[in-house]
Amino acid sequence: MWERVKNWVETRIGLDDLVRSQVTEYRVPKNINIFYTLGFVAAAGYLIQVLSGIMLLIYYVPHPDHAFKSVQLIMHKVPFGWLFRQMHVVGSNLMIAAIGLHMLTVFAMGNYKRPRELTWIGGALLLLVTIAFGFSGYLLPWTQLSYWATTVVTSIPTAVPVVGDFVAGILRGGDQVTGATLSRFFAFHVSILPPLFMILVGIHIFLIKRIGISATPFGLQAEEKRPWTEYHKKSHADGYPYYPRFFQMDMLMVMVYLAVMFALITFTPNLFFPEEATIPANAFKTPVNVRPEWYLLAPYQMLKIIPNKFLGIIIQLALFLVFLLWPFFDTEKEKNIMKRPLLRGLFLFSFILWLILMFWGRS
Amino acid sequence: MKRRSFLKALLAFLGATSVASFVYPLSRYYLAPPTSTENSRTLIIAKRDIPLGDAREIVFNGVPAVIMNRPGKGLIALSRVCTHLGCLVQYDKENKRLLCPCHAGVYDLEGNIVSGPPPKPLPKLPLRVEGETIVIG
Repeated sequence: MWERVKNWVETRIGLDDLVRSQVTEYRVPKNINIFYTLGFVAAAGYLIQVLSGIMLLIYYVPHPDHAFKSVQLIMHKVPFGWLFRQMHVVGSNLMIAAIGLHMLTVFAMGNYKRPRELTWIGGALLLLVTIAFGFSGYLLPWTQLSYWATTVVTSIPTAVPVVGDFVAGILRGGDQVTGATLSRFFAFHVSILPPLFMILVGIHIFLIKRIGISATPFGLQAEEKRPWTEYHKKSHADGYPYYPRFFQMDMLMVMVYLAVMFALITFTPNLFFPEEATIPANAFKTPVNVRPEWYLLAPYQMLKIIPNKFLGIIIQLALFLVFLLWPFFDTEKEKNIMKRPLLRGLFLFSFILWLILMFWGRS
Repeated sequence: MKRRSFLKALLAFLGATSVASFVYPLSRYYLAPPTSTENSRTLIIAKRDIPLGDAREIVFNGVPAVIMNRPGKGLIALSRVCTHLGCLVQYDKENKRLLCPCHAGVYDLEGNIVSGPPPKPLPKLPLRVEGETIVIG
């Protein structure tokens, strides 16, 4: 029976050929390392978010009078509701960590360089969309923490003269964070961001397939070092087949991702739920310890220490643009960061500065 | 002008008009309808409710505010909305300051900036004392 179904499908869409060309005979570079799996891990993380998000949608009510109660219902009354919510919350943080780590390793291996500038920009935009997912989802439980974090972030555009208030008004659906904000953040979270994310993933994968996977800069062949003046695909004819070798590495890292997720849920269930995340939103009282998630602590601390609202926000915007367009700033041909002390220094300095700001923001 | 150029320009014009005719309603749609708030009403509070050195949080025309009874300087009503990023400042009786818990903005009891990133002082609310009552608005 199974064979007949397989043959029926094979005759129509040529599945064998597809599996052969895209999986078993698809070659990856010989010197590929474990860090190349992080993109796949992030995609698996997104799948977990979609599935757990759909489960939460069954009970969640996006209304200021019911949102907090419905989340409490999910956590305390619905069988295993706590599990799906924890998976969604912990997963959102881990996914950002996976994409961040992916970009960090791509940066360290110089794989953003020509001809992969567009792949880098696509990845940076995917990170931005993932943070937008996290931010829009943050308001939905309608807690003190989510309400005031949203108040702060939606006030950021007001630093820009002339159009700032207009943009903030569009984000909030009014002058303050209200039920209108909750409605549009919910719409944004469940119906605008997912297709946007999928489009960007599609472009990202298309570019990787079209250009070919980049080899690591360590032990690079002379051919790789030549400047790219015209399109040609890197096919790695002497490389390993994607399946089973690299696929096993991918799956191993997905297991590590899941192990970290369930370890956090089991041993630190309150890690992403400080006290303010358990109190319903109150528009007339800002809690004393309102702080964003770990990945926004560095920008939060910068806003705190730069004694000028406009400057604080413009500097952050400029830093993001430099990050997004980095392949156009770094035009050196050498990919190996170990042979570039200045870039290595800049990389380490930025990373350490980010860590300092993050821990400072948390203290 | 050649026919081909004319047709190209015409197509571009029609395309731009079509796009604009969708962008305008779309941008208006995203701006929520204005909420009707009564901006003319006044708020009356008994003077005895705010002893010397104390403060009372109120909501006036939808804006969270604070009335403070300052020793030697009298009563003042200020908006509590921090001019940095919109968090609500809190009255610190001990240090005679208003503190923003979000980004550590500090104001004096006149609403002027003492330190931190706020760009403007806190807006003052109209306040007058009529006998034993305080009238805001």
